[in-house]
Amino acid sequence: MDLIFLLQDVINGILMGSIYGLVALGLTLVFGVLKVINFAHGSFLMVGMYVAYWVVAFTGLHPYLALVLVTPIMYIFGYLMQQWLIRPIFVAERDVREPITVIIVTTGVWYVLDNLALLLFGPDYRALSPNPLKGEMIELGEILISTPKLFGFTITVLTAAGLYWFLLKTRMGRAIRATSLDRDAASLMGISQWKVFNVAFGIGTAIAGIAAVVLVPVYNVYPTVGVPFDVKSFVIVVLGGLGSIPGALLGGVIIGLIESIGPNFMTSTWTEAIVYGLFLLVLFFKPSGLFGQKYDW
Amino acid sequence: MTKKSLATAALTLLALVGMSMSAMAETVVKIGNVEPLSGPSASVGQQGKNAREMAVEEINAAGGIKSLGGAKLELIYADSKSDPNVGVTETERLINTDKVNIVTGCWNSGVTYPATAVAERYGVPFVVPVSVRDTITERGFKYVFRIAAKDSWWTRDQFTFLKDMKDEFGTELKTVAFVYENGDWGTGFAAQWKKLAEEAGYEIVLDEPYPSTATDLTPVVNKIRRARPDVLLLTSNAADAVLITNTLSDYKVTPKVVLGSGGGHADPTFISGTSDNAKFMFDIVEWETDVNKPGAKETNDKYKAKYGSNLTGEAVDAYVAMYVIADALERSASLEPAKIRDALAATDLKTGPAAIVAYDSIKFDATGQNENAALAIVQINDLGQGLERITVWPKASRRAGYTPVFPMPQK
Repeated sequence: MDLIFLLQDVINGILMGSIYGLVALGLTLVFGVLKVINFAHGSFLMVGMYVAYWVVAFTGLHPYLALVLVTPIMYIFGYLMQQWLIRPIFVAERDVREPITVIIVTTGVWYVLDNLALLLFGPDYRALSPNPLKGEMIELGEILISTPKLFGFTITVLTAAGLYWFLLKTRMGRAIRATSLDRDAASLMGISQWKVFNVAFGIGTAIAGIAAVVLVPVYNVYPTVGVPFDVKSFVIVVLGGLGSIPGALLGGVIIGLIESIGPNFMTSTWTEAIVYGLFLLVLFFKPSGLFGQKYDW
Repeated sequence: MTKKSLATAALTLLALVGMSMSAMAETVVKIGNVEPLSGPSASVGQQGKNAREMAVEEINAAGGIKSLGGAKLELIYADSKSDPNVGVTETERLINTDKVNIVTGCWNSGVTYPATAVAERYGVPFVVPVSVRDTITERGFKYVFRIAAKDSWWTRDQFTFLKDMKDEFGTELKTVAFVYENGDWGTGFAAQWKKLAEEAGYEIVLDEPYPSTATDLTPVVNKIRRARPDVLLLTSNAADAVLITNTLSDYKVTPKVVLGSGGGHADPTFISGTSDNAKFMFDIVEWETDVNKPGAKETNDKYKAKYGSNLTGEAVDAYVAMYVIADALERSASLEPAKIRDALAATDLKTGPAAIVAYDSIKFDATGQNENAALAIVQINDLGQGLERITVWPKASRRAGYTPVFPMPQK
């Protein structure tokens, strides 16, 4: 295999993988704080993509400027979702050690949202049109780099850094970390657990919104678009360590690299098998994942 | 009450229930439809649903099935989600719970294959509008009828087309690449491509199955780019057809011929999702809006006004399937499955709305396959009115005044 090809594949793998990582970031944050696996995360991504699509279609904004609207809309969406749907279940299950019902509720949300989108928008594949980023490539001799994916990579890095800063330096960030370490102790210190849950869920959903903005210029929007990303996110989060921010990014890049380099040695059908094989191996040998610790942050 | 009279009473009751059920069934014929209404093929499923509904509305408005006292057709849907397991359980449910008289579906060959076996076991007629895997009608089944061409006919015509284009334009085509979704349909096509390519003396430079749910097809496109084929043969579902076409364009990969196999490439949203990136590619179809048959234009106009998109070959098959069923019911004058089956087997439909198909008559051979189903090849191009699909092959049906763009211009 030519070195130049390898380089090309590595670049594409890192760029695409970082976008997977961005999707997984919201999932891992919600898990870290609420200890709930949000099965509806892919659907939130789908909702974000529709929001981004309509924002761009109606306002004519540059696809990335849509972030200004999509991020707050998704934050509010997630915040209210937690406030009205997840929280009542938490309250009802207050005395249960493992609030399993919450996980089932998120599965319900996933099905409701996907089918609602199917009902409202139909099964059509929508692509931005006009799309200023369509087909934009940076050419370095034989190597072609997709411009929108490069932007996606940059936005991922900025988002992760911003989230890190928020969690380390702000009062709310510290409250979130405290709650994720020990819910009861944090409550005793005067932190409102429900407020923290709402904010964390809101941020997780807002990150799905950011990922949606990144994906809309390169991807089609349709009701079940979240599902393949959702499945990938679970693998990434387990691989990187549940609740870990660097873990999510690194996990994403690893999956991206497997998908990108793998097909040089086999057909692309098999790369999927490798990804899931890796997932199983991690579960067997290092269930806490690459960066997973008993206590994060 | 003696035992005997109890038994008589029970029998009478049963007979009464049976009679009242058959009396009720006289007024309505239930057609169960297993279609992918959600999941990766939801958009084709929706078109199949639209086409069925339009046909059934027309049939019912025209007085229903006259030999059954004006019985109306009723459509009952089940969502297969493109999943064979779901397709099988839904078919069982339609037959056992909804007591449908006839089943149709399922678009995905992988779903149709086991679902038709269920219907055969229960002895319920199953009309397959379009699912192209050969073996669906090659298992000696008595109750399964297919309207679309089988995939061996599709692949055969794809290679005949390549040969005819070589001869017509004098362009050498030596190497081929196969890129296909890794389900039943794609792998079935690829196996036949391989045989045909070897017979025709092509060198196969890439044989690449990929998962339809892939979120990134750049790695596949890079493999095509490195293999530098003259001919790229594709079999794709909807979302991946769009993704692969856009990515090919991003990476400026321009084989001399890019030829699709219907499915995702024939989906009306394909052109809006790819726009200029799809220009000059070829696709094999059963039917195109420019087909020269009476009523075709009117039916398409009606469909477009109603549902906002053109009829596809697959939608036409679904539309025609309803007329085939109505025609068979008219002749069977009974809802007994065996009689409907015999009437279907004797079908020779030449007139009426079903005659919009590109061939002369719908007629099933002993295996249940429509022996007249034929195929055409179109090129996607812009003649000043936006991108459209233009029939180019067979040469006899080529749109008047159109010269195909061949080979594809380099980007």
